[in-house]
Amino acid sequence: MLYRQAGIRHRRYAAERQLWPLTFDRVLVGGVVLFLLAAPFTLDRLYLGSYLLPWLLWSSAALGLNLLMGGAGQIHLGYGAVMAIGAYTSVHLVRSGIPFELALVLAGMTSAALGIVFGAAALRVKGLYLAMSTLAMQYIIDFTISHVPGISGGTQASLQVPRVTLLGMPVTGEVTPYYVALGLCAVITLFMLNVGRTSFGRALAAIREKDYAAEIIGVGTFKYKLLAFWVSSFIGGVVGAVLAVCYLRIVTPDQFHLDLSIQLVAMVIVGGLGSVLGSFFGAALILFAPIFFNNAIGTLATQFGLGISTDLRSHIPLMLYGALIILFLLVEPLGLAKIYDNVRKYFLVWPFRHVRK
Amino acid sequence: MQRTDSSGPGDIVLRCRDIERSFGGLKALKAVNLEIRKGEILGLVGPNGSGKTTMVNVITGFYPPERGTVTLFGENITRKRPHAIAARRMARTFQNLALFRGLSVLDNILLGRHVHMRPSAIATLFYWVWALREETRHRRVVEEIIDFMQLQDIRNEPVEVVPLGLQKRVELARALAAEPKLLVLDEPMAGMNQEEKEYITRFILDARDERDVSILLIEHHMDVVTAICDRMQVLSYGETIAEGKPREAIADPRVISAYLGQRAAKRQAGAGAAA
Repeated sequence: MLYRQAGIRHRRYAAERQLWPLTFDRVLVGGVVLFLLAAPFTLDRLYLGSYLLPWLLWSSAALGLNLLMGGAGQIHLGYGAVMAIGAYTSVHLVRSGIPFELALVLAGMTSAALGIVFGAAALRVKGLYLAMSTLAMQYIIDFTISHVPGISGGTQASLQVPRVTLLGMPVTGEVTPYYVALGLCAVITLFMLNVGRTSFGRALAAIREKDYAAEIIGVGTFKYKLLAFWVSSFIGGVVGAVLAVCYLRIVTPDQFHLDLSIQLVAMVIVGGLGSVLGSFFGAALILFAPIFFNNAIGTLATQFGLGISTDLRSHIPLMLYGALIILFLLVEPLGLAKIYDNVRKYFLVWPFRHVRK
Repeated sequence: MQRTDSSGPGDIVLRCRDIERSFGGLKALKAVNLEIRKGEILGLVGPNGSGKTTMVNVITGFYPPERGTVTLFGENITRKRPHAIAARRMARTFQNLALFRGLSVLDNILLGRHVHMRPSAIATLFYWVWALREETRHRRVVEEIIDFMQLQDIRNEPVEVVPLGLQKRVELARALAAEPKLLVLDEPMAGMNQEEKEYITRFILDARDERDVSILLIEHHMDVVTAICDRMQVLSYGETIAEGKPREAIADPRVISAYLGQRAAKRQAGAGAAA
C-alpha cells in the first residue's frame, strides 16, 4: 500500500545492505530525526527536559545493554552500576578541572575496565549464574560508592556537577544538554544499527547462538565475550556521564541502584532483545507508562468524582503498568519491536496476506 | 599456485600420532594414527561408539588428547584452541548441525569468512568509511560459494526455516567460505534421502577438485564412502582395524566382524575360500 518491496533491484552489495532500503522507512526516519532536531523550538521546555531528554538517555543506556543481552546473549543485572562508575568518574574528573570531552572518554574507559572484570565471570558461567555474578557487581559497586566518602562526596553523599562546556558550548539550561544527549544517542544508535551488518556483530551473534560452533569457524569465545562486555560497559559509562551532567546535575548513589538495572533489563526485554527500535520503545514504555497511568487515574477520579482511597489511587497505576508489560509480552514475546514489525509486514503486502507474521 | 610449491602427491596435510583419549574409565581412542595427504578424501568409518567423532574433536581442538600429537601442515596444533586451529585453514561441519539460528543463510555463510576478516567495534561505528569495503569484498567471495552450492534462492531466509537437507548444505557452504585447506565433515549425509545424498556427494567431490581442499569424511553410508574416498580407515573400540583402498578395507575380515559379528566374518571367509 504505502510501500512495496517489489520492483526494488539492487545492483551493488552496499545498496542491498543499506539500513533502510524502502523509501517509506527513510522518510519516516527522516521525519523523526527532524522532529527531534526541532524539538527545542517547537516543544514546551517542560516536555523537553522531563520527557524527551530522559527518554533519549534511557534509550541510549538500553541500547548499550542490548548489545550485550541481545547481541552477545550475556545477561547483565548490574548495568546501573556500570553507569554509576561512568557518572562518578566523569563528575570527579570535571570537578578536578579536566575538560568534559576527555572526562567522557575516561568515564567510558573506567566503566569498561571495571565492567570487563565482572564480565570475566561470563567466561565460566552462563544464564542464571551470570545473572548472579553481575548482580554481585551491582551490590559491590553500590557499597563501594556509598561507603567511600571520597567517591560519594562526603556526609551529604551527593555531588554537585559543576558547569561544563562541550566543544566550547556551555552545557547549561535545557537546550544544550538536550542536544548533547541527542548527539550521543545518535552515535550509539548508528553503532547499534551497524552491528547488525558487520563481522563484529556477526561474531557476537555466533557466541550468542552456539559458542562451540563459533569456535570452529574461528571466533574466539574468550575474546569476543570480553569484547562484548568492554564495548557495552564503555557505552554504559559514557551514558552515565552524560546522564549525570545533562540530566541529574546532582549525583547521589541511590540514583544508580538495582532499580535502574532492572528498569534497563525490562526495557531491553519488553522492547525486544537485539532490536534497536525496541530499545526506544522499551524505554518509552517503562519510563512513561507509570506517569501516564498515574495521570489518567487521577483525571478519571476527579472527573467522575470516584471515591477512590488514596492508597488504591497510588496502587492502581502500578498494577496497570505491570499488567501492560505482561500483556505486551503475551501478545508478542519478542517485544514491542516485533509488534511493530508485524504491523509493518502486514502493510508491506496489503491487500494480500501471504506473509502473515 | 598451490600446485607449484614443493609438493608431490604424497604431501601430508594432517598427521595424528598415537592419539589417546579416555572419558572416565572408557578408553575412546587407543594410540590411533591417522594421515591425510594433499588432495585426498579419507573416509573414517566404524560402528557406533568406535571413536570417530572423538577423533574429529581431538583434531579440531575440542578435546585435547591425553597422549599423542596432531600436526597440521607441519605445525604442532595438539593443544591449540579450536578457533586458533580454524585460523590455520581447517574447517569442520557437525553431525547435528551447528548453524546460528536467528541469522539468515547469508549471514551464516558470511560468518565462515570470519578468519579472513578484521572485526572491530570502531570499524562498526564508522561502517561507511571502514567496514563497507571489507564487507563487500567478502560478500563477493560468499556469493561465489552460494552459486557453487546452489543456495541462491534461500540466501535471505532465516536459517532455521530452511529444510534439513539444505541446512546441511548451508553448513558445508559456511565451512567452504573459510577457504579451508582441510575440511572435516562429520556425517554430512545423516538423515538425508537418496537425492540429497547424491547432491552432497557431488558438492564434496567438486570442492575437492575445484577448491583444492583435502577432506576427512566421517560417514555411515558405506555406498558413499566406498564411491568417493581415496582411502579409508576403519575404527573399532578406539583402534584402527583396517586401512587402505575402500574396497579392500571393507573386505577385511576384522571389519566385517566389527560390523556384522564373528559369524558373518567366518561365513564371508568361507565363501571367499570356496570361490
